Amino acid sequence: MSALPDDVRAIFERFELDLPEDPPDLLVEEGPLVPRDKLLGLARALKLEAHCLFFVYCAAAHYPPGPASRIPGMGEGELPDGTLVAYRVRRLAGGRPVDVPFRVWVPTGETTPSLVPVWVGADWQEREQYDLVGTVFEGHPDLRRIMLPEDWEGHPLRKDYAIDTPHFPWR
Amino acid sequence: MPLPVPRPFQRPARGATRHVEVGGVRVPYELVVDPWPDPYLDLDAYDPDADLMPINWGPQHPSTHGVLRVKLFMDGEVCVKAVPYLGYLHRGVEKLCEKLSYAQVTPIVDKNDYVSPMMNELAINMAFEKLLGVEPPPRAQVIRTIFAEMQRVASHLLWLGTWAMDAGGALGGGATLFMYCFREREMILDLFEEVTGARFHYNTHTVGGNRHDLPGGWEEKAIRVLDHIESRLPEYEDFLRDNDIFLVRTRGVGRLDPLLAMEIGVSGPSLRASGVDHDRRRDAPYAAYDRVEVKVPVRDAGDALARYEVRMDEMRESIRIARELLQDVPAGPITALKPVKMPKAIKVATGRSAYVGIESPRGELGTFVIAQNERKTAHLPYRLKIRPPSFHAMALLPYLAPGATLSDIVVIAGSLDPILGEVDR
Amino acid sequence: MSAAMVLDNPWLRGLVIGGGVLGVVLGIVAYAIWFERKFTGLMHQRPGPNVVGWAGLLQPIADVLKLFQKDDRLPAAVDRPLFVLAPVLMLAATMMALAVVPWGWGVVVADLHIGVLFALSITSLAAIPIWMAGWASNNKYALLGGMRAAAQAISYEVPLLLSVTVPVVLAGSFRLGDIVAAQAGGRWFALWPPGPGFFAFVLFYLSSLAEANRIPFDIPEAESELVGGITTEYGGMKFALFYLGEYLHTVVASAIASAAFLGGSDMGPLGDGLHWMLLKTLLLTASVIFVRWSWLRLRADQLMALCWTVFVPGGLVLVMASALWVHLT
Repeated sequence: MSALPDDVRAIFERFELDLPEDPPDLLVEEGPLVPRDKLLGLARALKLEAHCLFFVYCAAAHYPPGPASRIPGMGEGELPDGTLVAYRVRRLAGGRPVDVPFRVWVPTGETTPSLVPVWVGADWQEREQYDLVGTVFEGHPDLRRIMLPEDWEGHPLRKDYAIDTPHFPWR
Repeated sequence: MPLPVPRPFQRPARGATRHVEVGGVRVPYELVVDPWPDPYLDLDAYDPDADLMPINWGPQHPSTHGVLRVKLFMDGEVCVKAVPYLGYLHRGVEKLCEKLSYAQVTPIVDKNDYVSPMMNELAINMAFEKLLGVEPPPRAQVIRTIFAEMQRVASHLLWLGTWAMDAGGALGGGATLFMYCFREREMILDLFEEVTGARFHYNTHTVGGNRHDLPGGWEEKAIRVLDHIESRLPEYEDFLRDNDIFLVRTRGVGRLDPLLAMEIGVSGPSLRASGVDHDRRRDAPYAAYDRVEVKVPVRDAGDALARYEVRMDEMRESIRIARELLQDVPAGPITALKPVKMPKAIKVATGRSAYVGIESPRGELGTFVIAQNERKTAHLPYRLKIRPPSFHAMALLPYLAPGATLSDIVVIAGSLDPILGEVDR
Repeated sequence: MSAAMVLDNPWLRGLVIGGGVLGVVLGIVAYAIWFERKFTGLMHQRPGPNVVGWAGLLQPIADVLKLFQKDDRLPAAVDRPLFVLAPVLMLAATMMALAVVPWGWGVVVADLHIGVLFALSITSLAAIPIWMAGWASNNKYALLGGMRAAAQAISYEVPLLLSVTVPVVLAGSFRLGDIVAAQAGGRWFALWPPGPGFFAFVLFYLSSLAEANRIPFDIPEAESELVGGITTEYGGMKFALFYLGEYLHTVVASAIASAAFLGGSDMGPLGDGLHWMLLKTLLLTASVIFVRWSWLRLRADQLMALCWTVFVPGGLVLVMASALWVHLT
């Protein structure tokens, strides 16, 4: 895998992100961890300056309380319960497409800005992550469940979801 | 403030003549729509008298290609707002995959895009291989590519038949084309059956290679079948392209703004029909696509007819690629790892994640997988997300449906080629 | 009571011939369905019905028996009288048009002096039961189908009448018997005079496809858009009546087209006879079936545009051309 292009790297550096160099391909494959207050600004810069028009996916993963070293690039110490939201956008301009990934850490009980104002395609993606993992995206125009029924309890992709417990009215 | 009235996308045009560069991407100027229809249109403000008729299109409707439900607010026969409801086929595949080891996941994801199961297997196993750092041997790569291209032809044939049924009725001309398409698709399924023993859910890709080797003489047989299908394709084009009713039903219907398509993440034939030249097979080659030249058909019209043309061209291109590869399948082993006897044999404990996107018949089928961080459960993926192209295509419906009649919505939804198995997962 | 007495009494005569015609035509309709399925099988490269009887020839009987056995259910929210009445009226409206069709050898139930007008007006009455069915079903798809059907039937009435005016002008009579007689000796209106007659025949054929709700104009029941359109809520024998009415409409329209444009029972040098009329009717019905299984469906607004921008002006031109022909000869 080649390195990130210079203009994307420059945008990351302008937002004073901690660009991981160890392991060496972490930045290219998984991207930097973005503080939540910088997320919208970074997304706008990526779309308008780096021309990342194509929204590939947004995927959240739940982490129970534990050491921060479980997440590459997170550093040391203890982490509270929370979700890691991984985004990937793509620039299609000029020959080979360039994937730009970035990640956001969202502690449970707090919210992260929604990217719908930047990429409308984030709409259903974020609804799906909210439905399955329980990450709350602030500023989403229509944050409802998408896969499960409206009255479903809990978010099944969380690690603490009791999968062996019967859920009304199924099972 | 004036209300955003939904504007019909239908405009008579035979394809864009001017192009404009947006973000380095050259797109047809005439397709760019501003503003896009509002998917969250306030119906009370739009129509204070509430004369709109809500119609539940699906989940039990013959042309929703599964169990999609879309709540359409109709002004007469013209749609004003469309609200899709998903989840009728939600099986919790991602949660299931967290509880199954890397070797056990493949047959589960077969059922996602049940029209092209080969693609699901390929995408997920390529993501696992990237996580493990395993490179399949050349023979496996070539066999995977051949399977993928033949699966693309089979999938497009099924799409063509069902879409013709949408446009022409299950009790009309559409059914005739449907039968012809299935006749040819059967041949490809027969070939797959000969290799894998299954007609549909093959479970033939494994981490690091393939499970089944090609039987003797299979290559010649496959080339004969592909030649036969290629000779049949003009028949379908005669059936549709020379039919004025087909042309008036599809030309200018469901015109898709390429910028909207990119932001939503629509990929594959739907994106290429709107003038964006992007194909994973050529732009980020995987498997054995670097051995062959992939020509990518692109159209500028962005309507249902253009999507049909792109798919027809893709079928020819897939047949050519598969035939080229079939003529020279390298010898050697078909798997880089030893055959897996135990589910727990494959272990990753790095906590790293990997994303692989392949070009499925419907667009970019991606798999994002996070590995476990601890040794104890290292045989299970920590989190697995499938990025299904149909999910993104269905997110287009609230934008394409306003301004279209019910008959057009059927054609538009069909032209996006949704498979509800992978939309809902 | 001798046979002569029966034929002399117009009431008895009508009863006997009418019963005979109805029986034969219903048989034709039943076997038109068999033929359609077999023919479609041929087109699709599949066998078609082949289990009941030789080559599936008893299939229509099995189908009817199956439909009779079905539970006659009424959905809860329908308007009961209208819902029950609609399929019966639909069948009756199309059946009544059979009365004026001259089959040849004097077999005609009632050779009215306004036969053409009677047939067209009575078949266009079928729009009312279709609308009734769409309304009474209390279903949005059925309602849309009914609305489409009403618009379609009323619009296509105009080109249908215009196209059939051409043989009326050429023969100088509204009586179908006179129109057939005027074509005696192979001077069919579809062939002679060259031009208006042939185009009027094409116009009549297409418009009657639309009147009978056949593909490519079957938008009222458009099963891929409206599930089943007007027939969504119907089942069992009530559905069968709709189905039968549709096929009967096709056969009746084919018969009228044969009589008005293709010389009816006349076959030029090959003589004259009922069998030629039947053959022509069957061939036209088969062509309708062929069109059905090889064409796609139009959209409702395109259907209306086709009617008002092409068919109606074209029909007017044809009527004027035929009047000019009559004036000049």
